[in-house]
Amino acid sequence: MEELAKLPGIGPKTAQRLAFHLLNSPPEVARELAGAILRAREVVRYCSVCANLSDREVCSICADPQRDREVICVVQEPKDVLAMEKSRGYNGLYHVLQGVISPLAGIGPEKLTIKQLLARLSGGGVREVILATDSDVEGDATALYLARLIKPLGIKVTRIAHGLPVGAHLEYADEMTLAKALEGRREWP
Amino acid sequence: MRFYKLQAVVLKAVNMREASQLLTLFSLEKGKVRAVAYGAAKPASRKRGAVQPFTCSLFLLRRGSDLDSVAQCEVLEAFPEVRESLERLACAFYLAELLESATAEGEPAAPLYWLFLETLRALREVDAQVLCRAFEAKMLALLGWQPCLEKCASCGGSVDGRRVSFHVPSGGILCPSCAGRLEGALTCHRGTVEWLKTLLRWETARLGQLKVGRPAREELKELLQKFMAHHLERSARSLAFLEAAEHV
Repeated sequence: MEELAKLPGIGPKTAQRLAFHLLNSPPEVARELAGAILRAREVVRYCSVCANLSDREVCSICADPQRDREVICVVQEPKDVLAMEKSRGYNGLYHVLQGVISPLAGIGPEKLTIKQLLARLSGGGVREVILATDSDVEGDATALYLARLIKPLGIKVTRIAHGLPVGAHLEYADEMTLAKALEGRREWP
Repeated sequence: MRFYKLQAVVLKAVNMREASQLLTLFSLEKGKVRAVAYGAAKPASRKRGAVQPFTCSLFLLRRGSDLDSVAQCEVLEAFPEVRESLERLACAFYLAELLESATAEGEPAAPLYWLFLETLRALREVDAQVLCRAFEAKMLALLGWQPCLEKCASCGGSVDGRRVSFHVPSGGILCPSCAGRLEGALTCHRGTVEWLKTLLRWETARLGQLKVGRPAREELKELLQKFMAHHLERSARSLAFLEAAEHV
């Protein structure tokens, strides 16, 4: 129970419930779970190209010949790659920064995979870099910093649009979001 | 009363649990206040815009046994241009950290609140580096640590000459005899001391008219940051990013 309670989002009550569930289940349930955790921990590493989580030296996205290799989408965390992939609207490559510049927490650009990204870009063949960091101040700081580094390389730098989420009601949107949505308006249809 | 209102600028927002944020606010009424904005990170949250760092908002806070929480909030001034420039954003991070470390929770400090707000407004047109120096100088003055720039900070004697010694522990410039006696004094041009006086005297909104040369900027930066670190007993974490933003 103590070990389960160390996991994020799991309090003592949930840990107790999970522990009793495992104890009440057939032994193979616990064995399979333990085995899966161990295997994942041993096999999963960072892709040597994009720094995403992978069970191989080069992840399946970087190794896929069908992907557009001229476009790189820069995201903060591996979970952002999953979110982008779920959208099925993007067919380029990724670069995972493994975090975001957070001056107040003492996280500077040197703690992210920015050097690897620049090395990738200097290799040539990239037409566009899409900055898909979060739309908070840390995400903006990271995007501005990256744009400053990448633009001199002659590569097009774009930032994902900010505005109203799909299905949102205008009256419930905050002022900043509405301003961003107006700023990023485009001709319709 | 279970609820109370605050007009405040958000200094910091740290993610907490799934979708909540722990805010550090700097308010007109109560100075520095910490509060939780439950659900503020959810895509549909109405609080999201108003709890973004460097946004001035009107908050309705609910008293809690440990931390107060945000019941409602509304943006008063958003400063979107701060988030569109690397220098401005780095400057805002730095100033917010200075304000956070120099003030105690629950102690009203309206002059500091207005200074921060005026500085955020001035970021639209004034050079971020000059604004940082002006904010440092004015903040030190408001906190009662204004550097002594008219006479020797140690003996009260007159200070002449084109080069001047500045001694951080004594709190200002030194006459030649005290400079020879006290260790660790910094030297700077007399013009830099005059710039510092100007930064202290001029209103923040007018600072755009100043054209401070590179040597004076460098000397002002060294003087003020060492002075600030001496009083705050540490250097600001965001200083490294401010430097990176200036040189990238």
